[in-house]
Amino acid sequence: MTWDIVGMSAVCSLGDSVTGIHEALCSGRSGLAPVSAFDTSRYRAGSAYEVPDRARPGVDEPLRATRWLVRVIREALSDAGLPAAVPGLPVLVGTTHREMRTAELWWQHRAPLAPADLHFTSALRAAFGTSSVHTISSACASSLYALGMATDLIALGDADTVVVAGTDSITESSFGGFDRIQFPPPSGIRMFDRSRCGMIMGEGAVAVVLRRTGAHPGRVHGQVRGVSMNCDASHPTAPDPAGIVRAIEDAHHRAGVAPDEIDFVVAHGSGTPQSDLAEAVALRQVFKAADPGPLVTGIKAGMGHISGGAGLLNLVIALEAIRSGTLPGISDLTDPIEETKELRVISGAPATGSFGTAQVHAIGMGGINAVAIVEGAAQ
Amino acid sequence: MRIPGAVRTAITGVGWAVAGPGFDAATELARRGMRHKDRASRFALRAAERALEDAGLLGAAELGGAAVVLSSDFGNLDTVCDFVTTIATSNSSDISPMRVPHLSSQAPAAWVALQHGIRGPNLTLCNGAPGGLDAVAWACNLIAASRATSALVIGVEPDTPPVARLHAETAGVKWIDGAVGLVIEPVQHAVGRGARIRAEIAGYGKGDDERSALEAAGAAPTSRRLGSEPTARFGRCSGALGVVQCAMAVEQMDDVAVVAVSGPWAGESDETSVSALVLTPR
Repeated sequence: MTWDIVGMSAVCSLGDSVTGIHEALCSGRSGLAPVSAFDTSRYRAGSAYEVPDRARPGVDEPLRATRWLVRVIREALSDAGLPAAVPGLPVLVGTTHREMRTAELWWQHRAPLAPADLHFTSALRAAFGTSSVHTISSACASSLYALGMATDLIALGDADTVVVAGTDSITESSFGGFDRIQFPPPSGIRMFDRSRCGMIMGEGAVAVVLRRTGAHPGRVHGQVRGVSMNCDASHPTAPDPAGIVRAIEDAHHRAGVAPDEIDFVVAHGSGTPQSDLAEAVALRQVFKAADPGPLVTGIKAGMGHISGGAGLLNLVIALEAIRSGTLPGISDLTDPIEETKELRVISGAPATGSFGTAQVHAIGMGGINAVAIVEGAAQ
Repeated sequence: MRIPGAVRTAITGVGWAVAGPGFDAATELARRGMRHKDRASRFALRAAERALEDAGLLGAAELGGAAVVLSSDFGNLDTVCDFVTTIATSNSSDISPMRVPHLSSQAPAAWVALQHGIRGPNLTLCNGAPGGLDAVAWACNLIAASRATSALVIGVEPDTPPVARLHAETAGVKWIDGAVGLVIEPVQHAVGRGARIRAEIAGYGKGDDERSALEAAGAAPTSRRLGSEPTARFGRCSGALGVVQCAMAVEQMDDVAVVAVSGPWAGESDETSVSALVLTPR
């Protein structure tokens, strides 16, 4: 079985449309800038990939993750040519931080907070007339978990159409937490590079409209072939290559594809020493017999790590890369680690070509993995 | 979303870890292996162990193919709030690195997976008061979609200073401090291994209000309704509510189907949607 992606939208530090973000990535732009929302004297690091939408610089606002979420879902529905209000439409939202930034503003500055603000049902019910909303918080694999769950809903005959989304705004607690454990603080995300020293937070939102293949009369951006989701269950924080290999192999099995049918991989590539290493080792193992094997890229140096939304952002950029025939390369990769030697990693300038099938990764804290196989529609 | 008809599923284990009579949190949460874990994770680990023990699956090799589905609204609130307080009063270097994994809501589910070698999907829902029943329904979906051979469903809400403040500010007077776990597996598998089937999961629905949720769940009018009983006993149960309801339903199961309804009364913290789950005796 396959599932059509018939609408999509995204916002992050690089732009507010999928094509705009893809173009920015292809031109090597980075959304990294000095942090505007927090007092940077409290941290070693001073930069992040923020969405520059606050009314007053330096003054934070509650419910930004909710605001972006409503916006990208509205745009994705419109892109699909579907009505803006669909009672009973399932909406699955992947998010690491939910509205924890709003909770921080409540805790520190007495901003208002209701328990229902911490998930997205009330906001999406008000905006789209549906209460069939599920807020999924499986760390940075959240939005690809949501995609996998959406494919199950359709496969099990519960729905023909599901909206899948991801949203995350940068929280001060996580910015501070990573500042504590990453030393020296990273000056950029240097995926697969020997000099990599950590992840830098980004923020934004992404949504896709997923339909049973054949149910949509209009334009189709691409197809989901299969999504896997699992857990390493081997270490509290360090990813395990064996768990990632299992996730990739299960995704291939569900999609009915062989390793040499994958044209390119958009890896998780968060730039942390252990996660990048585990992912490279896993890719090397899965594709060891593939000739020539897929191209491998990552996009976090451009947009930062958008936590729960990261996996689905990888996916929409993969579809746009297939449509345009232009796959952004990894920025800031000059001295690749040994483990990537046999991989066709693209650094710097984009790769061009005729691409069909892509593999996208999301690897979350706690060893939580999700892998999606998608097929694009070329221009 | 319904309960998939292709694979019949049942509850075969229940584990309680709620502070109060029968669970001395001070000792239970200070056992070996609990160091450096947050309160939500400690409760979740205790409930998981008790549920697996009740189902006869503690230490079973088959858990490698199982899923963890956890529901919690406030599990990570204390870590988030403590960190911003530390940053505001000094700087990021005073943060405890051991607490960093608890910033995100999935930490308890990840610890449970690690403890028991559960390598299938590891799913955390933060879905308000209906989240516990939603978690049971997702567990059934994961089994029906061949993603998991069985599932450990946990509802957890710890009583921490930010949680207490949030409830107090929103007219809450009492709230739960603990976790409850359920083991869910295909009926056929349970029968095959001689497990005790506590209840079958026969229907699920979600809607704007109770009427639409009951209709979607296919609840028979003769079903016994289980609603605010957990709230009356423990106070607000929030993300744990539906799991507590299932545990209570199983314990009181006679020969009448039970329909658990989550969310539609003012005693809970959240009325934005309503979920209903039908449990039938066997």
